Amino acid sequence: MTSTAPRQSSAARVSRRTEVLEARPVNLDGFVEEWPEKGLVAMESDFDPTPSVRVEDGRIVELDGKERADFDFMDTFIANHAIDVASAERCTAIPSVEIARLLIDPRATRDDVLAVTRGLTPAKVLDVVKLMNVVEIMQGMQKMRARRTPANQAHSTSARDNPIQVAADAAEGALRGFAELETTLGVVRYAPLVAIALQVGGQVGRGGVLTQCALEEATELELGMRGITAYAETISVYGTESVFIDGDDTPWSKAFLASAYASRGIKMRFTSGTGSEVQMGNAEGKSMLYLEIRCILMAKGAGVQGLQNGSISCIGVPGAVPGGLRAVAAENLVASMVDLECASGNDQSFSHSSMRRTARAIPQLFPGTDFVCSGYSAVPNPDNMFAGSNFDTEDYDDWNTIQRDFQVDGGLRHVREAEILQARNKAARVLQALFRHLDLPAITDDEVEAATYAHSSNDYPLRDVLADLKGAQAVMDRGITGLDLVRGLEAAGFHDVAENLLMVLRQRVSGDLLQTSAILTPDFVPLSAINDPNDYAGPGTGYRLEGERWEELKKLRHVTSATNPETEVG
Amino acid sequence: MTTPTAAPPQRTVTLREVGPARRGTRPDEVVVAVSPAFAGHFSKTIVDVPHAEVLRQLLAGIEEQGVTARVVRIRDTADLAALAHVAARLSGSGISVGVLSRGTTIIHQRDLPRLSNLELFPQSPLLDAPVFRMIGSNAAQYAKGESPQPVPTRNDQMARPRWQAKAALLHLKEFECIEAGQGPLEVEPVFGSSAAG
Amino acid sequence: MSGRAPGGLVVGVDIGNSTTEACLGLVDPDGQVTYLGTALTRTTGVKGTPDNTDGALTAIRDALARAGRDSAEVRTVLLNEATPVISGLAMETITETIITESTMIGHNPTTPGGEGLGVGTTCSVGDLAEQPPGQPVVCVVPPGWDFDDTAAAVNAAVAAGVDVVAAVLAGDDAVLVTNRLTRPVPVVDEVAAVEKVPLGMLAAVEVAGPGRTIRTLSNSYGLATVFGLDPAQTRQVSPVARALTGNRSAVVVRTPSGDVTDRRIPVGELVLHGAGKTLRVDVDAGAEAIMDAVGRAQPLEDARGEPGTHVGGMLAQVRDTMADVMDSPGLPAVPVAEIAIRDVLAVDTFVPAEVRGGLAGEVALENAVALAAMVSTSRSRMQVVADRVSEGLGAAAAIGGVEGEMAVSGALTTPGVDRPVAVLDLGGGSTDAALLTRDGRATAVHVAGAGELVTKLVHSELALGDREVAESVKRCPLAQVESFFHVRHEDGTVQFFETPLPPEVYARVVVLTPEGPAPVGTRHRLDHVRRVRREAKRRVFVVNALRALRQVAPGGNLRELDFVVLLGGSALDFEIPDMIADALAPHGIVCGTGNVLGTEGPRNAVATGLVRAHAAAAVPAAREPVP
Repeated sequence: MTSTAPRQSSAARVSRRTEVLEARPVNLDGFVEEWPEKGLVAMESDFDPTPSVRVEDGRIVELDGKERADFDFMDTFIANHAIDVASAERCTAIPSVEIARLLIDPRATRDDVLAVTRGLTPAKVLDVVKLMNVVEIMQGMQKMRARRTPANQAHSTSARDNPIQVAADAAEGALRGFAELETTLGVVRYAPLVAIALQVGGQVGRGGVLTQCALEEATELELGMRGITAYAETISVYGTESVFIDGDDTPWSKAFLASAYASRGIKMRFTSGTGSEVQMGNAEGKSMLYLEIRCILMAKGAGVQGLQNGSISCIGVPGAVPGGLRAVAAENLVASMVDLECASGNDQSFSHSSMRRTARAIPQLFPGTDFVCSGYSAVPNPDNMFAGSNFDTEDYDDWNTIQRDFQVDGGLRHVREAEILQARNKAARVLQALFRHLDLPAITDDEVEAATYAHSSNDYPLRDVLADLKGAQAVMDRGITGLDLVRGLEAAGFHDVAENLLMVLRQRVSGDLLQTSAILTPDFVPLSAINDPNDYAGPGTGYRLEGERWEELKKLRHVTSATNPETEVG
Repeated sequence: MTTPTAAPPQRTVTLREVGPARRGTRPDEVVVAVSPAFAGHFSKTIVDVPHAEVLRQLLAGIEEQGVTARVVRIRDTADLAALAHVAARLSGSGISVGVLSRGTTIIHQRDLPRLSNLELFPQSPLLDAPVFRMIGSNAAQYAKGESPQPVPTRNDQMARPRWQAKAALLHLKEFECIEAGQGPLEVEPVFGSSAAG
Repeated sequence: MSGRAPGGLVVGVDIGNSTTEACLGLVDPDGQVTYLGTALTRTTGVKGTPDNTDGALTAIRDALARAGRDSAEVRTVLLNEATPVISGLAMETITETIITESTMIGHNPTTPGGEGLGVGTTCSVGDLAEQPPGQPVVCVVPPGWDFDDTAAAVNAAVAAGVDVVAAVLAGDDAVLVTNRLTRPVPVVDEVAAVEKVPLGMLAAVEVAGPGRTIRTLSNSYGLATVFGLDPAQTRQVSPVARALTGNRSAVVVRTPSGDVTDRRIPVGELVLHGAGKTLRVDVDAGAEAIMDAVGRAQPLEDARGEPGTHVGGMLAQVRDTMADVMDSPGLPAVPVAEIAIRDVLAVDTFVPAEVRGGLAGEVALENAVALAAMVSTSRSRMQVVADRVSEGLGAAAAIGGVEGEMAVSGALTTPGVDRPVAVLDLGGGSTDAALLTRDGRATAVHVAGAGELVTKLVHSELALGDREVAESVKRCPLAQVESFFHVRHEDGTVQFFETPLPPEVYARVVVLTPEGPAPVGTRHRLDHVRRVRREAKRRVFVVNALRALRQVAPGGNLRELDFVVLLGGSALDFEIPDMIADALAPHGIVCGTGNVLGTEGPRNAVATGLVRAHAAAAVPAAREPVP
């Protein structure tokens, strides 16, 4: 549909240049005028409330111009749980421009800012970020990101839900540097097999990678509790009461779900993003960013450690209005400035234009976020069951080059072909042995061979789907857990992979992954805002891409050797 | 073999008001419900399929199956499932087709919960005239108690960047046209053609 | 068999093709058995191979756990002597329908338009205006023509005196066009390749009223009348008439050498060795001829098919698989030459296939032959399994008896059964029979074809495209969903529901699976689906029951059998036991589903038999069973 359709239907003669411009991919993207009365506006709206807060008897009784009697349940939840009552009146009274300057002032530490932001109302937060241009927003993000070391997250899915593909691509993704891997399904009943494949493949690529499987909430929780997945992310929250109710949810039901994960020591974050409310026609006349700030504070109030935001699946909406991507950058900043882990979008098909796709990622890639992409497609986009990402496997070399050009760490690295083939092959073999041990549908040597050299799901032999689905059901019926996977890996002779998975599972006993922005290093050391806090304090401080890591990122597929220019290094 | 050489005339439709919609008694009818702004405030879908063609193809699909159709305009909601459910309860067979101005379409049945459906076509940019014909045909087959193969649904990852915001805008505009408290109106589609050739 | 401690636990373990069953018994020194519990799990690996160990251990431990006993108390584990049985399935389509020179359109669209017969010269809708008045014309409409435009063009031509007597359309527009004609004519639509209809030829279009079928074009003499044919020509067009029988609409074009042929496709020979003979039979001769040859080559020693055909490939693959299975480290390899096909079952079936040369995706039910073959080997690896079970459990393990004999022994614990008794084990790949005569002699046979062949027949005859659906059609009864609140079962009874059924089953034929109704993706009515299912079961299980029982019955005479006990997974089927009992009733046989130990149903017969045999051996004097 979108590959054709010339825009010009009139017969009037146009210039050759116009013809060339009309043919540019950017003109396949959709753009609309703002309509602030209905909330179709990024962040500058006359219809957003004016900041105000009043505390009586240790309780917020007025929030952004509304008396408590007029609160909707979002206001109530935020007033009761998200805002520090003790400092609310004082902080909200600070001129917005002072707070905005604090965000970019290198002499103010991250903690100095948090001391102020914890007392701010949603409208006040909006008032602050509205003063910031995109460079200032990036400066703020550089300091406010919770974890000192930036990281990245990948999607690893298969158009055929082929577990061998998921395992091999997970192994390659982990090897290339992703700290978290996420999957989902076309046929939901395949989930147990694909989740196992992701978990196992990930641990082959690099010990300590965390995995999740996006499903309806009950199954997702069950897979987490069984230790087949390591964390959860797709728990969506919305900025208006009406949209929440449409989804049969409330802030309290989401908070309850969050506590279910916490009770088992499982890492989790919420998901929200600009544009979702207006997309559903229930923005209640508020700007996209104002509603997103309410989501962020709701997440804060629910006690979760982090949030995936940056418009996510609604990116087409802010992407189509003026200043929309500035608002998207601002929503990531707001998550970080209220001390939440931020997995910062860049995870959905966004534009037909490569230039726009790249530019869209700059506000997250350059300052660094906890996860620059909350889903870089580690499979070709046609295999991406999250409906396509902003970047996919074909962009690996571009991404690595941009990291090298600007000396920024986007979480990935170039890996030599031999290593990749080895990891892919091993992942497939490990899964083959594990399936055999668990008496799940057999994986043939042909499939292992295919997995080693494949690009997309089309490169694999077809599976017996019926047998696979029965096997998937058996995983659920037999109560297979993460520990059964460890046992099976050990029995199958893959001691190292068994050890890696066991180390990941042990984290839920220590609870270290419940800390803000926690990931695991290859040595299974949790890296979070507690032990790796962002200490940015101006030039020369904070995370710097240097030393061994910088040497690693200097490598590309083709770099001419300075010693012998007739050869390439790497 | 030859095909028509002259450009086909642009067909138009006006929905002539007949009166308040009543519950049908014929077991062989499908009720087609259009949204408040359909063939009124708006004249074409998100991908410029004229509303005249949408309606003509839906009705043709129903007629080809030997089933009769009535058209109603729902005025007090632009929620697709809700307007189709209202129509299903007016339908003698219990089967309805609901269609929004932007093209999003649903096949509904009287006994289903409002938010459920027999078939749903949520991706309005992917619906063209042949798809509307198949939707009409399937609705009629349900009315006859037959079990048609569901209309194949398509998918396009790049629909998001192109159409997501326009869809939201059309949705908001359609909501503007809601007339609260106004019941469903039976209408008669009058097809014409504007300047043939 | 001496020196056993009194009062030990004995576990009988039956490793079958798909399930492994265990029976736990306490055997007194005097041979009294107290049954403590049973267990069932999936078989790991191919039956009769070392991979079975895990499943066997699981079943033993389950049975112990249920009885609250410990593995230390186990005195001995008894395994059945099971030889691996590998079966294969293949299907060959043996007929092909070809239409030459686009002589006929017989795809039977669901909604043709108008009614009656129109005979005239074919002419494109775009050229209608140039037709001379008074000459009968059949209007041919290519894709892209809107129904309003088509109707307008025809009406204009008719108004100008052109005698349009019928129409053939590309799109699904027949009713729409007919409704808009000033003078309705028969219209056939959905002719996808309408551009291949020869123009300027004499053609006849016939449409019957709803619920009726055409009368003229499906009648050879009708065709002769319409086209003025002589007797020789009439003979030539009679296949056209036959191909159109049962249709509501059809188009026949008179072309110089147009024809419909029904060609047999040679698919090679099946070579059967047995009874000192080598018999060759053409696979396209059909199931009856093949089974006749198989009968004459009994006992079958081997079978081979033509390389490059499905059957040849399947037979070779079955052999290779068996060789692979038998190939276990540390043991001598089994040469492929030593592995022989021991039984073949051929079943006539049909496959809906698109007609070659058709203009509208006409589908003909082509004849096909489905073949099941089975290979068994005398070499068993069961001793290896016994050794590994012994090691894993820390108790003695031995081979306690041969499968068939043990099954009969276990079946004898079914209340109301006595010797001579035959058992029929209805499995997935093979159907097994065993007989225990009054004087205690046992014989056993395996024949090819069982549950999996039924699934394949259902799958292809209904063109379901989804093996999972075919599997559930086989397993579960059907129903028609008539509203969101009620279904009509296949026996005609109606069941109502409090909460609405899911939308995806609305108005559909469904299978009533334990998880709820699931839609069957077919345009066929419930009656047809039911008939196909029952026919498939009859052609496989009833035929095989008789075949297998004849092989074990003394002198091949079924009347020599008194009791037949049905065992195995398919004995739990909701209709197969009744179908077999009906087929055996004329032979004076009592037939029913087993109820091992009076509690286990058709399950656990072999495992129970193992425990009984062990107990009986303990007291050589006491031969009578003590259930």
